[in-house]
Amino acid sequence: MNQLRPLESGYQSRTMTNIVRLACWNGAWVGTCALIAFGPKFLWNRTLLFTLLAVGLNVCVGVGMLLSNKKYVEGLDELQRRVYLNGLAITVGVSLIAGVPISVMAGYGVIPCKADIACLMMLMALTFLVSMLYGTWRYR
Amino acid sequence: MKNRLKVLRAERDWTQAQLADALDVSRQTINAIETGKFDPSLQLAFRASRLFGMRIEEIFHDEDGRSLATEIK
Repeated sequence: MNQLRPLESGYQSRTMTNIVRLACWNGAWVGTCALIAFGPKFLWNRTLLFTLLAVGLNVCVGVGMLLSNKKYVEGLDELQRRVYLNGLAITVGVSLIAGVPISVMAGYGVIPCKADIACLMMLMALTFLVSMLYGTWRYR
Repeated sequence: MKNRLKVLRAERDWTQAQLADALDVSRQTINAIETGKFDPSLQLAFRASRLFGMRIEEIFHDEDGRSLATEIK
């Protein structure tokens, strides 16, 4: 059998490192989101300085998460990148198609619920998850 | 685009995972290329040709089975 010599930094290990790094940044970002949501009321009694510091921290960690995601995508191979790109395209499309009518209908009171940004984020997350699963299944 | 990746890999007794490691891609990508679900980029095709020690047109073919070299002739 001809022996194959894998590259120094294998695709699997490199991708796993990027995933762990991205997960850490995501966790930190969610933590700072919780901080700015609940901190003013439960931790520092609405002191403006602390609130501004918490928002600044949230933005900084958000930028870190963004850069980490960029690094993760750049580390993917061409097929995985295509699956990711398709997932993003579907997510943006669904968010626009569903987001605008829901916002309009909520504004006119056609639907009883409030058009909340959290609902849109949930829709985007679920759409992206389903798109990625479909893409992975399609090229399995 | 058709290819002989699976045959060439089998001749050398390599697994998909080993080939994926050597080409710096995922095993899923190798599988998708072998089953014709995904056409590799020129860069990846060049890497494969270097690895197998063959010309690109000896590995990858047009849908009707003709290689680029055959068409030029």
